[in-house]
Amino acid sequence: MLMLAAIVVLHITTIVLLLVAAIDSAWWVKDSVSADLWGKWEFTNNMWHYTNLKDYPEDYLQAVQATSVLACVFTILALFVFVAQLFTLPKGMRFTFTGTLQIIACLCIMTGASIYTAKLHVNESSGGYGHCYILAWISFVLTFILALTYFILRKKKE
Amino acid sequence: MLTFLALTSVALLGIVPEQSQAIVIYTGWERHALVGSDIRLSCSFFSWRWTSEDVTFSWTYRPDGSRDAISIFHYTGGAAYVDNKGPFRDRLEFVGNPGRRDGSILLKNLELSDNGTFTCDAKNPPDIVGRPSSVRLLVFEKVPIQAGVITGAIIGVVLGLLVLIVVIYYLMRFLVARRVFSLSVSKHGKKKKEGSQQRQIKV
Repeated sequence: MLMLAAIVVLHITTIVLLLVAAIDSAWWVKDSVSADLWGKWEFTNNMWHYTNLKDYPEDYLQAVQATSVLACVFTILALFVFVAQLFTLPKGMRFTFTGTLQIIACLCIMTGASIYTAKLHVNESSGGYGHCYILAWISFVLTFILALTYFILRKKKE
Repeated sequence: MLTFLALTSVALLGIVPEQSQAIVIYTGWERHALVGSDIRLSCSFFSWRWTSEDVTFSWTYRPDGSRDAISIFHYTGGAAYVDNKGPFRDRLEFVGNPGRRDGSILLKNLELSDNGTFTCDAKNPPDIVGRPSSVRLLVFEKVPIQAGVITGAIIGVVLGLLVLIVVIYYLMRFLVARRVFSLSVSKHGKKKKEGSQQRQIKV
């Protein structure tokens, strides 16, 4: 029971982290500019303005957008499938479907974060990665651990 | 007296709507093109009257960021007059058919400075009351990737594949189960019946 609760809590935490990484606006932060995958917040004249991203390689940016959305979708799907498999899986079997969905989510967020690191902001000297970028990598680790857990875990034979 | 009033009211009802309907002009809303290409700007109109011989079409051009419009094309009295002094000299061609209410023009060899709004005004005497319609021209150096096209494509393809794989998996399981069942019925149907009869006798 405790282990089940721990796994569910960890899964929900991963979902929340992934959603924050995809939605919140802090992938790349400079002094008064905060950019994410969808737009840019600029602090000018004592007010925050939301503008479109310019001078970004469009195709790579859209690939990162797509992979982060897909990672969120797959982890949420994995949670629902896990709960469903808790009731329908025959005893002693592994949660393979859940594990598969979770490993796909892990691959997606890894691809997205890697493309972001390699292709965007390559030549900029000022500014650094914001908390959403860090959360993306942390959720990659968490999804990987969860996927392994689902592949190893067996349903209790009672 | 009453019949006279009725007849006049019907006649008035017949005439007044024709005069109060205006001419409606149709052009596109926005057109995109690459530098160096040609583009056809279409203009057509709807009018309750027959197409008159004095039908006129005129196109005016207002560059982006400018407040003045310049006249670039005029068709009247059966003859088309194209721009021979302005920004479109030698680049404008009339490709419309006024008899069929088509006043389209062809712009050749587009440049970046051709970004702007083109307004078409058509008149079909005596139907002359109407609003000119405008089409915005956007000229690009290379075709820009529209926001979200690649994102949507990747998400759609991956989710579609997922649904397809799940459907095929369950379909295969269902079909294999059915095939096994139907095979045993057709080949061993007689044997099964004999077997069940024997069991019944024993019981």
